[in-house]
Amino acid sequence: MNPYLPAFAWQSHAVLGRHLRVHLRNWYTATLPPVCEPLIMLLAFGVGLGRQIGTLTWNGAPMDYMHYLAPGILAYTAFMSSFFQSLFGAYIRMHFQKSWEGQLTTQLRLEHVVWGEALWAATLATAYAAIVCLVLAGFGLADQLALHWAWLPVVMPLIFLAALSFSAIGLYFTAIIPSIDHMSLPFFLVIMPIGFASSTYFPLPDVPWLTATAQLNPLHHLAEGLRGLLLNGQATWHLAASGGLCLLLLAALIPVDMRLLRKRVFGDG
Amino acid sequence: MAAPTAPRNGDNVLLSATGLVKSLGGKRVVEGIDMTCRAGEVLGLLGPNGAGKTTTLRMCYGFLRPDAGQIRIAGHDLATEGDAARRALGVCTQDDTFDSEFTVRGNLVQTGRYYRPRQEDLLARIDVLIERFGLGPFANQKPETLSGGFKRRLMIARAVVHNPRVAFLDEPTTGLDPQARVAVWELINGLRAEGLAVVLTTHYMDEAERLSDRLLVLQAGKVRAAGQSREVLGDVVGEHVVLLSAQADGTAQVIEWLRSRGARPAQILADWHVALDAPGLAAFVAAHPDLRYEVRPPTLDDLFLALASEDRR
Repeated sequence: MNPYLPAFAWQSHAVLGRHLRVHLRNWYTATLPPVCEPLIMLLAFGVGLGRQIGTLTWNGAPMDYMHYLAPGILAYTAFMSSFFQSLFGAYIRMHFQKSWEGQLTTQLRLEHVVWGEALWAATLATAYAAIVCLVLAGFGLADQLALHWAWLPVVMPLIFLAALSFSAIGLYFTAIIPSIDHMSLPFFLVIMPIGFASSTYFPLPDVPWLTATAQLNPLHHLAEGLRGLLLNGQATWHLAASGGLCLLLLAALIPVDMRLLRKRVFGDG
Repeated sequence: MAAPTAPRNGDNVLLSATGLVKSLGGKRVVEGIDMTCRAGEVLGLLGPNGAGKTTTLRMCYGFLRPDAGQIRIAGHDLATEGDAARRALGVCTQDDTFDSEFTVRGNLVQTGRYYRPRQEDLLARIDVLIERFGLGPFANQKPETLSGGFKRRLMIARAVVHNPRVAFLDEPTTGLDPQARVAVWELINGLRAEGLAVVLTTHYMDEAERLSDRLLVLQAGKVRAAGQSREVLGDVVGEHVVLLSAQADGTAQVIEWLRSRGARPAQILADWHVALDAPGLAAFVAAHPDLRYEVRPPTLDDLFLALASEDRR
Protein backbone atom coordinates (compact mmCIF):
# COMPACT_ATOMS: atom_id res chain seq x y z
CA MET A 1 0.00 0.00 0.00
CA ASN A 2 1.19 3.53 -0.79
CA PRO A 3 2.19 4.95 2.61
CA TYR A 4 1.53 8.56 1.56
CA LEU A 5 -2.04 8.34 0.27
CA PRO A 6 -3.64 7.91 3.73
CA ALA A 7 -2.58 11.52 4.43
CA PHE A 8 -5.58 12.53 2.31
CA ALA A 9 -8.04 9.97 3.73
CA TRP A 10 -11.01 11.10 5.82
CA GLN A 11 -9.92 8.69 8.55
CA SER A 12 -6.63 10.57 9.05
CA HIS A 13 -8.56 13.82 9.18
CA ALA A 14 -10.89 12.28 11.79
CA VAL A 15 -7.84 11.69 14.00
CA LEU A 16 -6.71 15.26 13.34
CA GLY A 17 -10.21 16.42 14.29
CA ARG A 18 -10.06 14.50 17.55
CA HIS A 19 -6.77 16.15 18.55
CA LEU A 20 -8.08 19.55 17.55
CA ARG A 21 -11.22 19.12 19.66
CA VAL A 22 -9.19 18.12 22.71
CA HIS A 23 -6.82 21.05 22.18
CA LEU A 24 -9.56 23.63 21.70
CA ARG A 25 -11.20 22.65 24.97
CA ASN A 26 -8.00 23.75 26.72
CA TRP A 27 -7.24 26.64 24.38
CA TYR A 28 -6.68 29.16 27.16
CA THR A 29 -3.83 27.18 28.71
CA ALA A 30 -2.65 25.69 25.41
CA THR A 31 -2.16 29.13 23.88
CA LEU A 32 0.06 30.43 26.66
CA PRO A 33 3.32 28.72 25.60
CA PRO A 34 3.28 29.84 21.94
CA VAL A 35 2.51 33.41 23.08
CA CYS A 36 4.90 33.56 26.00
CA GLU A 37 7.86 31.72 24.51
CA PRO A 38 8.55 34.09 21.60
CA LEU A 39 7.71 37.03 23.82
CA ILE A 40 10.31 35.95 26.36
CA MET A 41 12.82 35.08 23.64
CA LEU A 42 12.43 38.42 21.91
CA LEU A 43 12.64 40.31 25.18
CA ALA A 44 15.49 38.29 26.69
CA PHE A 45 17.58 37.70 23.59
CA GLY A 46 16.35 40.28 21.09
CA VAL A 47 16.18 43.22 23.45
CA GLY A 48 18.40 42.10 26.35
CA LEU A 49 21.22 40.22 24.65
CA GLY A 50 20.76 42.30 21.51
CA ARG A 51 21.89 45.41 23.41
CA GLN A 52 25.12 43.67 24.40
CA ILE A 53 25.70 42.33 20.88
CA GLY A 54 24.88 45.55 19.09
CA THR A 55 24.96 44.78 15.39
CA LEU A 56 25.98 41.64 13.58
CA THR A 57 26.69 40.91 9.93
CA TRP A 58 24.30 38.84 7.89
CA ASN A 59 24.88 38.32 4.15
CA GLY A 60 27.47 41.08 4.28
CA ALA A 61 25.04 43.61 5.73
CA PRO A 62 24.94 44.86 9.33
CA MET A 63 21.76 44.36 11.31
CA ASP A 64 20.68 44.40 14.95
CA TYR A 65 20.20 41.10 16.73
CA MET A 66 16.43 41.55 17.22
CA HIS A 67 15.89 41.55 13.45
CA TYR A 68 18.18 38.58 12.96
CA LEU A 69 16.36 36.67 15.67
CA ALA A 70 12.69 37.24 14.64
CA PRO A 71 12.60 34.96 11.53
CA GLY A 72 14.72 32.40 13.39
CA ILE A 73 12.14 32.17 16.16
CA LEU A 74 9.45 31.54 13.56
CA ALA A 75 11.44 28.67 12.04
CA TYR A 76 12.39 27.25 15.41
CA THR A 77 8.76 27.28 16.56
CA ALA A 78 7.72 25.17 13.56
CA PHE A 79 10.52 22.72 14.29
CA MET A 80 10.20 22.45 18.05
CA SER A 81 6.39 22.41 18.34
CA SER A 82 6.03 19.75 15.71
CA PHE A 83 8.78 17.55 17.07
CA PHE A 84 7.52 17.87 20.64
CA GLN A 85 3.92 17.02 19.70
CA SER A 86 4.82 14.06 17.51
CA LEU A 87 7.17 12.68 20.13
CA PHE A 88 5.75 13.42 23.59
CA GLY A 89 2.11 13.85 22.57
CA ALA A 90 1.98 10.84 20.28
CA TYR A 91 3.92 8.62 22.67
CA ILE A 92 1.58 9.43 25.54
CA ARG A 93 -1.49 8.79 23.39
CA MET A 94 -0.03 5.55 22.08
CA HIS A 95 1.46 4.14 25.25
CA PHE A 96 -0.31 5.59 28.27
CA GLN A 97 -3.72 6.83 27.12
CA LYS A 98 -4.24 3.83 24.80
CA SER A 99 -6.15 6.12 22.46
CA TRP A 100 -4.36 4.59 19.46
CA GLU A 101 -5.66 1.15 20.40
CA GLY A 102 -9.18 2.52 20.74
CA GLN A 103 -8.91 4.15 17.32
CA LEU A 104 -7.46 1.03 15.72
CA THR A 105 -10.50 -1.03 16.66
CA THR A 106 -12.66 1.24 14.50
CA GLN A 107 -12.61 1.97 10.79
CA LEU A 108 -9.15 3.51 11.20
CA ARG A 109 -5.95 1.74 10.25
CA LEU A 110 -2.49 2.43 11.63
CA GLU A 111 -1.65 4.51 8.55
CA HIS A 112 -4.54 6.83 9.40
CA VAL A 113 -3.55 7.13 13.06
CA VAL A 114 0.07 7.90 12.16
CA TRP A 115 -0.86 10.43 9.48
CA GLY A 116 -3.41 11.92 11.88
CA GLU A 117 -0.61 12.44 14.41
CA ALA A 118 1.73 13.93 11.78
CA LEU A 119 -0.95 16.26 10.41
CA TRP A 120 -1.91 17.33 13.90
CA ALA A 121 1.71 18.09 14.86
CA ALA A 122 2.11 20.14 11.67
CA THR A 123 -1.21 21.95 12.16
CA LEU A 124 -0.42 22.81 15.75
CA ALA A 125 3.10 23.97 14.86
CA THR A 126 1.69 26.15 12.07
CA ALA A 127 -0.91 27.61 14.44
CA TYR A 128 1.85 28.34 16.96
CA ALA A 129 3.90 29.97 14.19
CA ALA A 130 0.88 32.14 13.37
CA ILE A 131 0.72 33.19 17.01
CA VAL A 132 4.43 34.00 16.89
CA CYS A 133 3.65 36.19 13.86
CA LEU A 134 1.14 38.09 15.97
CA VAL A 135 3.75 38.58 18.70
CA LEU A 136 6.22 39.82 16.07
CA ALA A 137 3.54 42.16 14.78
CA GLY A 138 3.17 43.48 18.32
CA PHE A 139 6.88 44.30 18.37
CA GLY A 140 6.41 45.91 14.97
CA LEU A 141 3.66 48.14 16.33
CA ALA A 142 6.03 49.13 19.14
CA ASP A 143 8.64 50.15 16.53
CA GLN A 144 10.99 47.44 17.69
CA LEU A 145 10.81 45.39 14.52
CA ALA A 146 10.45 46.18 10.83
CA LEU A 147 9.68 43.19 8.61
CA HIS A 148 8.09 42.70 5.22
CA TRP A 149 4.82 41.86 6.95
CA ALA A 150 2.90 40.93 3.81
CA TRP A 151 5.06 37.82 3.43
CA LEU A 152 4.03 36.36 6.78
CA PRO A 153 0.81 34.67 5.58
CA VAL A 154 2.59 33.52 2.42
CA VAL A 155 5.22 31.54 4.32
CA MET A 156 2.63 29.54 6.27
CA PRO A 157 2.37 26.66 3.74
CA LEU A 158 6.15 26.23 3.84
CA ILE A 159 6.08 26.27 7.64
CA PHE A 160 3.35 23.59 7.52
CA LEU A 161 5.43 21.42 5.18
CA ALA A 162 8.53 21.84 7.34
CA ALA A 163 6.57 21.00 10.49
CA LEU A 164 5.12 17.92 8.79
CA SER A 165 8.58 16.66 7.95
CA PHE A 166 9.85 17.37 11.48
CA SER A 167 6.90 15.39 12.82
CA ALA A 168 8.15 12.40 10.83
CA ILE A 169 11.39 12.59 12.87
CA GLY A 170 9.38 12.80 16.10
CA LEU A 171 7.29 9.77 15.11
CA TYR A 172 10.46 7.83 14.32
CA PHE A 173 11.57 8.27 17.92
CA THR A 174 8.04 7.52 19.17
CA ALA A 175 8.45 4.18 17.44
CA ILE A 176 11.89 3.30 18.78
CA ILE A 177 12.39 4.75 22.26
CA PRO A 178 12.14 1.92 24.79
CA SER A 179 10.29 3.95 27.44
CA ILE A 180 9.36 7.46 28.46
CA ASP A 181 12.54 7.56 30.56
CA HIS A 182 14.48 7.71 27.28
CA MET A 183 12.72 10.85 26.02
CA SER A 184 15.80 12.99 26.63
CA LEU A 185 17.74 11.00 24.01
CA PRO A 186 15.99 12.39 20.93
CA PHE A 187 16.36 15.89 22.33
CA PHE A 188 20.05 15.31 22.85
CA LEU A 189 20.56 13.50 19.54
CA VAL A 190 18.27 15.49 17.25
CA ILE A 191 16.87 18.72 18.68
CA MET A 192 20.15 20.15 19.88
CA PRO A 193 22.28 19.30 16.82
CA ILE A 194 19.60 20.43 14.35
CA GLY A 195 18.83 23.51 16.42
CA PHE A 196 22.44 24.59 16.92
CA ALA A 197 23.50 23.92 13.32
CA SER A 198 20.70 25.96 11.85
CA SER A 199 21.37 29.70 12.12
CA THR A 200 18.05 30.19 13.89
CA TYR A 201 19.40 32.01 16.95
CA PHE A 202 22.88 33.00 15.76
CA PRO A 203 24.81 33.03 12.49
CA LEU A 204 26.83 29.88 11.90
CA PRO A 205 30.57 30.37 12.46
CA ASP A 206 32.70 30.19 9.34
CA VAL A 207 33.77 26.58 9.88
CA PRO A 208 33.83 24.58 6.63
CA TRP A 209 32.49 21.28 7.98
CA LEU A 210 29.72 23.03 9.89
CA THR A 211 28.74 25.10 6.89
CA ALA A 212 28.69 21.95 4.74
CA THR A 213 26.61 20.04 7.30
CA ALA A 214 24.12 22.89 7.58
CA GLN A 215 23.38 22.58 3.86
CA LEU A 216 21.61 19.31 4.70
CA ASN A 217 19.65 20.84 7.55
CA PRO A 218 16.12 21.89 6.48
CA LEU A 219 15.79 24.09 9.58
CA HIS A 220 18.86 26.08 8.51
CA HIS A 221 17.37 26.71 5.07
CA LEU A 222 13.97 27.52 6.57
CA ALA A 223 15.49 30.10 8.92
CA GLU A 224 17.65 31.62 6.17
CA GLY A 225 14.78 31.56 3.67
CA LEU A 226 12.41 33.28 6.10
CA ARG A 227 15.12 35.81 6.92
CA GLY A 228 15.62 36.69 3.26
CA LEU A 229 11.89 37.04 2.73
CA LEU A 230 10.96 38.89 5.90
CA LEU A 231 14.02 41.15 6.15
CA ASN A 232 14.77 41.87 2.50
CA GLY A 233 11.55 40.86 0.78
CA GLN A 234 13.56 38.46 -1.40
CA ALA A 235 12.72 34.84 -2.11
CA THR A 236 16.09 33.08 -1.97
CA TRP A 237 17.16 29.56 -2.94
CA HIS A 238 17.00 28.63 0.75
CA LEU A 239 13.20 28.48 0.51
CA ALA A 240 13.37 25.93 -2.29
CA ALA A 241 16.12 24.02 -0.50
CA SER A 242 14.06 23.92 2.67
CA GLY A 243 10.97 22.69 0.82
CA GLY A 244 12.97 20.09 -1.11
CA LEU A 245 14.77 18.74 1.96
CA CYS A 246 11.50 18.57 3.88
CA LEU A 247 9.85 16.59 1.07
CA LEU A 248 12.84 14.25 0.97
CA LEU A 249 12.69 13.79 4.72
CA LEU A 250 8.97 13.00 4.56
CA ALA A 251 9.38 10.60 1.65
CA ALA A 252 12.18 8.75 3.40
CA LEU A 253 10.85 8.65 6.96
CA ILE A 254 7.11 8.01 6.63
CA PRO A 255 7.48 4.42 5.33
CA VAL A 256 10.08 3.75 8.04
CA ASP A 257 7.79 5.24 10.71
CA MET A 258 4.90 3.09 9.52
CA ARG A 259 6.95 -0.10 9.61
CA LEU A 260 8.46 0.59 13.04
CA LEU A 261 5.17 1.70 14.56
CA ARG A 262 3.41 -1.37 13.15
CA LYS A 263 5.98 -3.49 14.91
CA ARG A 264 5.64 -1.50 18.11
CA VAL A 265 1.84 -1.32 18.25
CA PHE A 266 0.95 -4.76 16.92
CA GLY A 267 4.11 -6.66 17.82
CA ASP A 268 4.05 -7.61 14.16
CA GLY A 269 6.96 -7.02 11.79
CA MET B 1 -10.22 -32.33 15.79
CA ALA B 2 -13.99 -32.45 16.01
CA ALA B 3 -15.97 -31.37 12.97
CA PRO B 4 -17.63 -27.99 13.53
CA THR B 5 -21.30 -28.37 14.30
CA ALA B 6 -23.68 -26.57 11.99
CA PRO B 7 -25.20 -23.60 13.76
CA ARG B 8 -28.94 -23.65 14.16
CA ASN B 9 -30.08 -20.46 12.55
CA GLY B 10 -29.73 -20.77 8.83
CA ASP B 11 -26.92 -19.67 6.61
CA ASN B 12 -26.61 -16.00 7.39
CA VAL B 13 -22.87 -16.19 8.01
CA LEU B 14 -21.55 -12.81 9.14
CA LEU B 15 -18.08 -13.91 10.16
CA SER B 16 -16.17 -16.44 8.16
CA ALA B 17 -12.50 -17.15 8.80
CA THR B 18 -10.71 -19.90 6.94
CA GLY B 19 -7.19 -21.26 7.25
CA LEU B 20 -5.90 -18.54 9.57
CA VAL B 21 -2.19 -18.78 10.21
CA LYS B 22 -0.10 -16.32 12.20
CA SER B 23 3.43 -16.28 13.56
CA LEU B 24 4.58 -13.70 16.08
CA GLY B 25 8.21 -13.25 17.09
CA GLY B 26 9.18 -16.25 14.99
CA LYS B 27 6.71 -18.55 16.78
CA ARG B 28 3.63 -20.03 15.12
CA VAL B 29 0.77 -18.81 17.32
CA VAL B 30 -2.21 -19.69 15.13
CA GLU B 31 -2.09 -22.68 12.84
CA GLY B 32 -4.96 -23.15 10.41
CA ILE B 33 -8.01 -21.99 12.34
CA ASP B 34 -11.44 -21.99 10.66
CA MET B 35 -14.43 -20.35 12.27
CA THR B 36 -17.84 -18.98 11.37
CA CYS B 37 -20.44 -17.01 13.25
CA ARG B 38 -23.95 -16.36 12.05
CA ALA B 39 -26.46 -13.59 12.66
CA GLY B 40 -28.06 -13.89 16.11
CA GLU B 41 -25.42 -16.31 17.32
CA VAL B 42 -22.87 -16.10 20.12
CA LEU B 43 -19.69 -18.05 19.40
CA GLY B 44 -17.60 -18.74 22.51
CA LEU B 45 -13.89 -18.88 21.86
CA LEU B 46 -12.21 -20.87 24.60
CA GLY B 47 -8.78 -22.19 25.38
CA PRO B 48 -6.04 -21.97 27.96
CA ASN B 49 -3.61 -19.05 28.01
CA GLY B 50 -1.42 -19.13 24.91
CA ALA B 51 -3.98 -21.10 22.90
CA GLY B 52 -4.20 -18.32 20.30
CA LYS B 53 -7.59 -16.83 21.22
CA THR B 54 -6.57 -13.20 21.34
CA THR B 55 -4.35 -13.49 18.24
CA THR B 56 -7.24 -15.09 16.33
CA LEU B 57 -9.60 -12.39 17.50
CA ARG B 58 -7.11 -9.64 16.64
CA MET B 59 -6.79 -11.01 13.11
CA CYS B 60 -10.57 -11.15 12.76
CA TYR B 61 -11.02 -7.51 13.68
CA GLY B 62 -8.14 -6.33 11.56
CA PHE B 63 -5.61 -5.56 14.28
CA LEU B 64 -3.18 -8.18 12.95
CA ARG B 65 -2.67 -9.34 9.39
CA PRO B 66 -2.87 -13.11 8.99
CA ASP B 67 0.14 -14.78 7.35
CA ALA B 68 -2.34 -16.97 5.50
CA GLY B 69 -6.09 -17.43 5.37
CA GLN B 70 -9.10 -15.32 4.62
CA ILE B 71 -11.50 -13.38 6.83
CA ARG B 72 -14.87 -12.16 5.63
CA ILE B 73 -17.01 -9.83 7.69
CA ALA B 74 -20.62 -9.52 6.51
CA GLY B 75 -19.47 -10.72 3.11
CA HIS B 76 -16.53 -8.30 2.84
CA ASP B 77 -12.99 -9.60 2.58
CA LEU B 78 -11.01 -7.92 5.36
CA ALA B 79 -7.85 -7.92 3.23
CA THR B 80 -9.28 -6.43 0.04
CA GLU B 81 -12.39 -4.58 1.26
CA GLY B 82 -10.94 -3.39 4.54
CA ASP B 83 -13.08 -0.29 4.96
CA ALA B 84 -16.40 -2.07 4.38
CA ALA B 85 -15.36 -5.00 6.56
CA ARG B 86 -14.23 -2.74 9.39
CA ARG B 87 -17.43 -0.76 9.12
CA ALA B 88 -19.35 -3.98 9.77
CA LEU B 89 -17.51 -5.00 12.94
CA GLY B 90 -17.27 -3.68 16.47
CA VAL B 91 -14.67 -4.47 19.10
CA CYS B 92 -14.61 -4.50 22.88
CA THR B 93 -11.00 -5.15 23.81
CA GLN B 94 -9.79 -6.86 26.97
CA ASP B 95 -8.31 -3.61 28.31
CA ASP B 96 -10.29 -0.41 28.61
CA THR B 97 -9.23 1.85 25.77
CA PHE B 98 -11.38 4.87 26.48
CA ASP B 99 -10.35 8.25 25.30
CA SER B 100 -9.65 9.77 28.68
CA GLU B 101 -9.98 13.29 27.26
CA PHE B 102 -13.73 12.85 26.72
CA THR B 103 -16.78 12.14 28.86
CA VAL B 104 -18.85 8.98 28.54
CA ARG B 105 -21.04 10.63 25.91
CA GLY B 106 -17.98 12.26 24.33
CA ASN B 107 -16.34 8.85 23.98
CA LEU B 108 -19.36 7.53 22.11
CA VAL B 109 -19.49 10.62 19.88
CA GLN B 110 -15.76 10.50 19.13
CA THR B 111 -15.77 6.77 18.39
CA GLY B 112 -18.81 7.25 16.16
CA ARG B 113 -16.94 9.90 14.20
CA TYR B 114 -14.35 7.31 13.22
CA TYR B 115 -17.08 5.80 11.00
CA ARG B 116 -18.11 9.09 9.38
CA PRO B 117 -21.85 8.89 10.14
CA ARG B 118 -24.44 11.58 9.63
CA GLN B 119 -24.23 13.72 12.77
CA GLU B 120 -27.95 13.54 13.61
CA ASP B 121 -28.00 9.74 13.15
CA LEU B 122 -25.00 9.38 15.42
CA LEU B 123 -26.47 11.55 18.17
CA ALA B 124 -29.78 9.69 18.02
CA ARG B 125 -27.98 6.34 18.22
CA ILE B 126 -25.94 7.53 21.20
CA ASP B 127 -29.07 8.58 23.07
CA VAL B 128 -30.48 5.08 22.52
CA LEU B 129 -27.26 3.40 23.66
CA ILE B 130 -26.89 5.58 26.76
CA GLU B 131 -30.43 4.66 27.76
CA ARG B 132 -30.10 0.97 26.94
CA PHE B 133 -26.73 0.51 28.63
CA GLY B 134 -27.82 2.41 31.75
CA LEU B 135 -25.18 5.08 31.26
CA GLY B 136 -27.53 8.05 31.62
CA PRO B 137 -26.46 9.15 35.12
CA PHE B 138 -22.80 9.14 34.05
CA ALA B 139 -23.11 10.54 30.54
CA ASN B 140 -21.23 13.72 31.39
CA GLN B 141 -18.60 12.12 33.59
CA LYS B 142 -15.14 10.99 32.55
CA PRO B 143 -14.91 7.20 32.10
CA GLU B 144 -12.27 6.79 34.81
CA THR B 145 -14.87 7.80 37.42
CA LEU B 146 -17.07 4.80 36.52
CA SER B 147 -17.14 1.47 38.33
CA GLY B 148 -15.68 -1.56 36.58
CA GLY B 149 -19.10 -2.77 35.45
CA PHE B 150 -20.07 0.54 33.91
CA LYS B 151 -16.70 0.89 32.25
CA ARG B 152 -17.36 -2.45 30.52
CA ARG B 153 -20.83 -1.28 29.56
CA LEU B 154 -19.32 1.78 27.98
CA MET B 155 -16.74 -0.35 26.14
CA ILE B 156 -19.51 -2.53 24.69
CA ALA B 157 -21.67 0.50 23.85
CA ARG B 158 -18.68 2.01 22.07
CA ALA B 159 -18.15 -1.22 20.15
CA VAL B 160 -21.67 -1.08 18.73
CA VAL B 161 -22.05 2.69 18.33
CA HIS B 162 -21.97 2.38 14.52
CA ASN B 163 -24.51 -0.47 14.31
CA PRO B 164 -22.08 -3.22 13.33
CA ARG B 165 -23.11 -6.71 12.15
CA VAL B 166 -20.39 -8.57 14.08
CA ALA B 167 -19.22 -7.82 17.63
CA PHE B 168 -15.95 -9.13 19.07
CA LEU B 169 -15.95 -9.15 22.85
CA ASP B 170 -12.60 -10.09 24.33
CA GLU B 171 -13.09 -11.15 27.95
CA PRO B 172 -15.78 -8.54 28.54
CA THR B 173 -16.49 -9.48 32.17
CA THR B 174 -13.00 -10.15 33.52
CA GLY B 175 -12.62 -8.60 36.96
CA LEU B 176 -16.30 -7.78 37.46
CA ASP B 177 -18.39 -8.67 40.49
CA PRO B 178 -21.22 -11.19 39.93
CA GLN B 179 -23.94 -8.54 39.68
CA ALA B 180 -22.02 -6.55 37.10
CA ARG B 181 -21.26 -9.74 35.15
CA VAL B 182 -24.94 -10.60 34.95
CA ALA B 183 -25.70 -7.08 33.73
CA VAL B 184 -23.10 -7.49 30.95
CA TRP B 185 -24.55 -10.93 30.09
CA GLU B 186 -27.93 -9.30 29.58
CA LEU B 187 -26.41 -6.76 27.24
CA ILE B 188 -24.69 -9.51 25.25
CA ASN B 189 -27.98 -11.39 25.04
CA GLY B 190 -29.54 -8.18 23.78
CA LEU B 191 -26.94 -7.95 21.00
CA ARG B 192 -27.73 -11.52 20.00
CA ALA B 193 -31.45 -10.74 19.99
CA GLU B 194 -30.73 -7.78 17.71
CA GLY B 195 -29.23 -10.20 15.20
CA LEU B 196 -25.55 -9.46 15.69
CA ALA B 197 -23.01 -12.20 15.34
CA VAL B 198 -21.11 -12.09 18.64
CA VAL B 199 -17.69 -13.65 19.14
CA LEU B 200 -16.86 -13.91 22.81
CA THR B 201 -13.71 -14.98 24.61
CA THR B 202 -13.86 -15.67 28.31
CA HIS B 203 -12.13 -17.55 31.07
CA TYR B 204 -15.41 -17.94 32.96
CA MET B 205 -16.80 -21.32 32.06
CA ASP B 206 -20.26 -20.59 33.38
CA GLU B 207 -20.34 -17.50 31.21
CA ALA B 208 -19.29 -19.43 28.11
CA GLU B 209 -21.88 -22.08 28.80
CA ARG B 210 -24.72 -19.65 29.46
CA LEU B 211 -24.06 -17.22 26.64
CA SER B 212 -22.62 -19.26 23.78
CA ASP B 213 -24.69 -21.02 21.16
CA ARG B 214 -21.54 -22.77 20.02
CA LEU B 215 -18.05 -23.13 21.36
CA LEU B 216 -14.75 -23.21 19.57
CA VAL B 217 -12.00 -24.63 21.73
CA LEU B 218 -8.47 -23.66 20.78
CA GLN B 219 -5.32 -25.37 21.89
CA ALA B 220 -1.79 -24.57 20.78
CA GLY B 221 -3.09 -22.43 17.93
CA LYS B 222 -5.44 -25.06 16.51
CA VAL B 223 -9.13 -25.89 16.86
CA ARG B 224 -9.27 -28.69 19.41
CA ALA B 225 -13.06 -29.05 19.45
CA ALA B 226 -16.11 -27.21 18.14
CA GLY B 227 -19.83 -27.43 18.60
CA GLN B 228 -22.39 -27.05 21.35
CA SER B 229 -20.99 -27.26 24.84
CA ARG B 230 -22.16 -30.85 25.52
CA GLU B 231 -20.61 -32.06 22.28
CA VAL B 232 -17.35 -30.26 22.97
CA LEU B 233 -17.18 -31.67 26.49
CA GLY B 234 -17.86 -35.16 25.19
CA ASP B 235 -15.12 -34.82 22.58
CA VAL B 236 -12.44 -33.43 24.85
CA VAL B 237 -13.30 -34.50 28.38
CA GLY B 238 -15.52 -37.57 28.18
CA GLU B 239 -19.04 -38.34 29.30
CA HIS B 240 -18.56 -38.45 33.07
CA VAL B 241 -16.35 -36.96 35.73
CA VAL B 242 -15.57 -38.97 38.85
CA LEU B 243 -14.65 -37.03 42.00
CA LEU B 244 -12.54 -38.78 44.63
CA SER B 245 -11.44 -37.40 47.96
CA ALA B 246 -7.67 -37.05 47.99
CA GLN B 247 -7.64 -37.72 51.75
CA ALA B 248 -9.54 -41.01 51.65
CA ASP B 249 -7.70 -44.28 52.36
CA GLY B 250 -6.58 -46.08 49.26
CA THR B 251 -7.06 -43.14 46.92
CA ALA B 252 -3.43 -43.24 45.83
CA GLN B 253 -3.86 -46.84 44.64
CA VAL B 254 -7.08 -45.97 42.80
CA ILE B 255 -5.37 -43.10 41.04
CA GLU B 256 -2.52 -45.40 40.01
CA TRP B 257 -5.11 -47.89 38.72
CA LEU B 258 -6.82 -45.16 36.70
CA ARG B 259 -3.50 -43.95 35.26
CA SER B 260 -2.60 -47.49 34.28
CA ARG B 261 -5.80 -47.57 32.21
CA GLY B 262 -4.98 -44.34 30.37
CA ALA B 263 -7.09 -41.92 32.44
CA ARG B 264 -5.61 -38.56 33.38
CA PRO B 265 -6.67 -37.68 36.93
CA ALA B 266 -6.16 -34.07 38.01
CA GLN B 267 -6.04 -32.98 41.63
CA ILE B 268 -7.86 -29.79 42.54
CA LEU B 269 -7.51 -28.92 46.23
CA ALA B 270 -8.94 -31.86 48.20
CA ASP B 271 -10.38 -33.81 45.26
CA TRP B 272 -9.17 -35.83 42.33
CA HIS B 273 -11.14 -35.25 39.11
CA VAL B 274 -11.16 -38.09 36.59
CA ALA B 275 -12.92 -37.86 33.22
CA LEU B 276 -14.22 -41.20 31.95
CA ASP B 277 -16.33 -42.42 29.06
CA ALA B 278 -19.19 -44.87 29.69
CA PRO B 279 -17.14 -48.09 29.36
CA GLY B 280 -14.40 -46.55 31.52
CA LEU B 281 -16.92 -45.63 34.20
CA ALA B 282 -18.44 -49.12 34.11
CA ALA B 283 -14.97 -50.67 34.53
CA PHE B 284 -14.18 -48.25 37.37
CA VAL B 285 -17.42 -49.07 39.20
CA ALA B 286 -16.85 -52.78 38.80
CA ALA B 287 -13.24 -52.59 39.99
CA HIS B 288 -13.95 -50.47 43.09
CA PRO B 289 -17.29 -51.57 44.50
CA ASP B 290 -16.61 -50.27 48.04
CA LEU B 291 -15.09 -46.93 47.13
CA ARG B 292 -16.92 -43.68 47.98
CA TYR B 293 -16.97 -41.24 45.07
CA GLU B 294 -19.20 -38.85 43.18
CA VAL B 295 -20.06 -38.95 39.49
CA ARG B 296 -21.24 -35.84 37.67
CA PRO B 297 -21.47 -34.60 34.09
CA PRO B 298 -18.36 -32.75 32.87
CA THR B 299 -18.22 -28.97 32.97
CA LEU B 300 -16.15 -26.51 31.01
CA ASP B 301 -13.82 -26.33 34.00
CA ASP B 302 -13.06 -29.99 33.38
CA LEU B 303 -12.42 -29.09 29.77
CA PHE B 304 -9.77 -26.59 30.82
CA LEU B 305 -8.16 -29.11 33.13
CA ALA B 306 -8.14 -31.67 30.34
CA LEU B 307 -6.55 -29.22 27.92
CA ALA B 308 -3.96 -28.16 30.47
CA SER B 309 -3.17 -31.79 31.12
CA GLU B 310 -2.74 -32.42 27.37
CA ASP B 311 -0.49 -29.35 27.13
CA ARG B 312 1.75 -30.67 29.92
CA ARG B 313 2.09 -33.98 28.11
